[in-house]
Amino acid sequence: MKKKVLSVLLCAAMAAGMLAGCGGDDKASTDDANKPAASDADGSAAGKKFALVTKSAGNPYNEKEAEGFQQAIESIGGECIIKHPESATADAQVSVIQSLISQGVDSICIAANDENALQAALEDAMAAGIKVSCLDSKTNAASRMTFANQAGTTEIGQALMDAVYDIAGGEGDWAILSATSQATNQNAWIDAMKDIMENDSKYANLNLVEVAYGDDEPVKSTDQTQALLSKYPNLKVICAPTTVGIAAAAKVLQDQSSAVKLTGLGLPSEMAEYIGDDDAHSCPYMFLWNPIDVGRLGAYISAALVDGTITGAAGETFEAGDMPNSPYTIVDAGDGGTEVILGAPFKFDPTNIEEWKTVY
Amino acid sequence: MEKKSLWKRITGSREASLVIVLIVLCALISIKNPSFLALYNILEILKNNAVIMIMALGMLCVLLIGGIDISITSSLAFAGMTVGMLFKNGVIHSTLLGFIIAIAIGAACGFLIGLIIAKGNVTPIIATMGFMYIYRGFAYLVANSQWAGADALGGFKDFALESYLGFGVINNVLVIVIVCYIIFFILMKWTKFGRNIYAVGSNAEAAEISGIHVAHVKLAVYTLMGILAGLCGALAVTVYASAQPNMMQNKEMDVIAACVIGGVSMSGGRGSVGGALLGALILAVIAKALPLVGIDALAQNTVKGVIIIAVIVLNVVTQRMMDKNNLERREM
Amino acid sequence: MAGKSGRTIDATPKDVWKKNILSWEGMLVILFLLINIFCRCISPNYTMANVLREMPKYLSEIFLLFPMAYILMLGEIDISVGSTVCLSATIACIASNAGIPFPIVIVLTILTGAICGMVNGFILVKFPELPSMIVTLGTQIVFRGIAEIILGSGGSVSVTNTAGFRAIAGKIGPFPYIFFLVLISGAVFIVISIKTIFGRSLYAIGSNSRTSFYSGIKVKKVKFIVFTLMGIFAAIAALFLTSSLYGANTTTGNGFEMDAIAMAVFGGIATTGGKGRLIGGLISAFIIICLRIGLGQINMNPQVILIILGALLICAVLLPNVSAGLKLKKKS
Repeated sequence: MKKKVLSVLLCAAMAAGMLAGCGGDDKASTDDANKPAASDADGSAAGKKFALVTKSAGNPYNEKEAEGFQQAIESIGGECIIKHPESATADAQVSVIQSLISQGVDSICIAANDENALQAALEDAMAAGIKVSCLDSKTNAASRMTFANQAGTTEIGQALMDAVYDIAGGEGDWAILSATSQATNQNAWIDAMKDIMENDSKYANLNLVEVAYGDDEPVKSTDQTQALLSKYPNLKVICAPTTVGIAAAAKVLQDQSSAVKLTGLGLPSEMAEYIGDDDAHSCPYMFLWNPIDVGRLGAYISAALVDGTITGAAGETFEAGDMPNSPYTIVDAGDGGTEVILGAPFKFDPTNIEEWKTVY
Repeated sequence: MEKKSLWKRITGSREASLVIVLIVLCALISIKNPSFLALYNILEILKNNAVIMIMALGMLCVLLIGGIDISITSSLAFAGMTVGMLFKNGVIHSTLLGFIIAIAIGAACGFLIGLIIAKGNVTPIIATMGFMYIYRGFAYLVANSQWAGADALGGFKDFALESYLGFGVINNVLVIVIVCYIIFFILMKWTKFGRNIYAVGSNAEAAEISGIHVAHVKLAVYTLMGILAGLCGALAVTVYASAQPNMMQNKEMDVIAACVIGGVSMSGGRGSVGGALLGALILAVIAKALPLVGIDALAQNTVKGVIIIAVIVLNVVTQRMMDKNNLERREM
Repeated sequence: MAGKSGRTIDATPKDVWKKNILSWEGMLVILFLLINIFCRCISPNYTMANVLREMPKYLSEIFLLFPMAYILMLGEIDISVGSTVCLSATIACIASNAGIPFPIVIVLTILTGAICGMVNGFILVKFPELPSMIVTLGTQIVFRGIAEIILGSGGSVSVTNTAGFRAIAGKIGPFPYIFFLVLISGAVFIVISIKTIFGRSLYAIGSNSRTSFYSGIKVKKVKFIVFTLMGIFAAIAALFLTSSLYGANTTTGNGFEMDAIAMAVFGGIATTGGKGRLIGGLISAFIIICLRIGLGQINMNPQVILIILGALLICAVLLPNVSAGLKLKKKS
């Protein structure tokens, strides 16, 4: 009997709690539904809420993107919300998106942890009238309006391929050390590199021996780099298109004073120690784009989507404040959706690394 | 007679079967890739897994008293990240000071856990699960969205490259590993504290009655674990020349797995320093070997999991056979 | 509703009323109310409609809570559920993309989960010496590893035919189906745990496995069933999770095991086995969810949220122990 009473009591209290705690006014949600209509009429960004969802907390690269996003949004007078998910997974980002829908934001710009698994949440957001765009890593075409791409996939592939060609001296074995086997960006770049290598006879003497995955963990990246070195004694170049992997590989090569050289994509602040032309340094040069600019481009795209300048269709153009290539044009991304390309990847070599290592 | 007792001693020890597993693994790998057993490669394995190997010692003590600690890598990240940021911001420059601070932070983290478990009577897994979130959160807060990279760490990262502690022959990191193992071997085998740990783990009530202060032993063990986690925080920063708030996340399970593979019982009272060492080595060899023997990158995790299960099942099977043998011998 | 239950309470003797309020579950209900009021105060967007809309993704984790509570009652633990969710979700997506009718997709998914659970159950029953934590650590790596192999180099799959998943994500009024399903399955699990022989045997085994065995309880069978149940409910969670993702990847379900364990423990279920009531777990699940939603809406740093949850978890276990300790002192 006691137990029954207890259960009834508990159920009643829970139902009451739901109603008392969160019930009352459904007004806010109807407000949300009305918002987009109002914003279409008004072109200014003042009073609008722009949200950025990063890949994960505690990563300086993401932080720089957020910094750029915030700068740009504040310069046009909007309110900026930066949200980091609890962990670097799509699951965690879904909760963040749902929370942003509740807050009635006007736009969400997201660096996706997974191409597909955000679709349901982002569709919900678009249905609520929120303008959804991506930056850095895209979602599939159905769950975004457009995408701020840091650099064209082929351009990155070409730049990395040329770097490998140059450092290897035109021939020999080389290997790739990537992030996880699922990393969307890395896989796209690796595919682009393979394409370029197959279709241009210039690279015929280069031999890609293996694509290894360090899972963006220092320990595993170190293990994988050492494995590459002992498996392929004739290895000349390792290309690591990921910031954690390149730093781990650079340390292994430099500590061993290995003849194998490194290139790829890395953060200047992490890599400053390893970049140099002489034998004492493991990485002659590497590439990256400016994450601050990626964030700013994402912000301007969000703003243009919210004020109705663009809808995300290919061919549309928009102004992006004082950014170097402004106005930008939306182009077809080749996956059924559209994208905006920031520019060519930037080369970091011994002449400019000192200057950039303090920036990001 | 003497021969028999030696034979008995070999078959009677759990470690023997582990040594065999380790040898078989190494042999199989070196058939596929002869460079695996090169001295240089072995040293790399040891250095790369120094953190797991050292923490396995602390975990051994924790498991021996029937506890568990899943917050260790969070304490590690908190201590390592703090030291990394101190170097980055130019607050400290001395390597020794870096280690002392990391160890102090680790000790404080461990002490707090010990206090909650020993005095507050909270189940170890729950207490350490809570602190796993808390200390990891602290690491993120300390980091403030920054990493301490190789450039920022200055002279600290050279520690893992030099060998002044090992008289110019053995790498500093390995010296620390060896010293830790020697200390723990002595501690567990020949000191009162070590025997108290086994006593508490075998039967806490009996230990209490026979005059051992169980709460104090628990407190000491978790503090010890914290000290090792702090030490490993500093080590991880110097070995990988980088401090990130998510470093070694989820690796606490590797440490526990290393102990269990090494024959340490999770219900307390049974396990040895040698077992912990062998368990850690087997895990290290597996991790190192998977890319070397050319297993497809996508299948590496599955293979790793299957090997772990196989090794622990093998452990049980040999144990059963041993027990059966012993019984038969007794009957005779 | 409120009036009716109020009458029931008035009609019961006074001491029961007092006892219920002072019980852990009573405290949890009060805490639940306080949390909701607190969230309403800090966030203007904390409305019924918003909370219910944000809830489904979290609710899918509650499916894991029920069998996990059973497992904890047995004194075991299962840390492979996150991986089971991952593998089941992968199968669900791929099956659905292959054009298989949705009911069969559901069956296939649940079958996948059941097989995962049976593998755990089988190993644990065959080798009772092995701690469940290590076995499920191994299978955790293996299940996710298999999902990695299935997903291939992309590591991610999108649901092209979302009709079925959209259907199960439907709502009755403002309440999503999953909300009712969680409450119903919760009720079933609660009734089983307190009213049936099976439920009592859970507590019996958790309190003393050997005595239960000698008193005729089929310990192995119960263990096997509970672990299989865990797999099945992981698959159900995977189905609903997929309906709020429209895709699966190799990180799907990461960390779900810890969330489920935390909910159970916060609800007063001891990890040492034999203790606790499932109703507490259910209430605490809602407390954690509401707190997460509320703090998320004011854009609190996610790491700080984790610190708060960690601290809550420790307090939840520490406070009753401390107050019990104080009472003991008073008496003596």
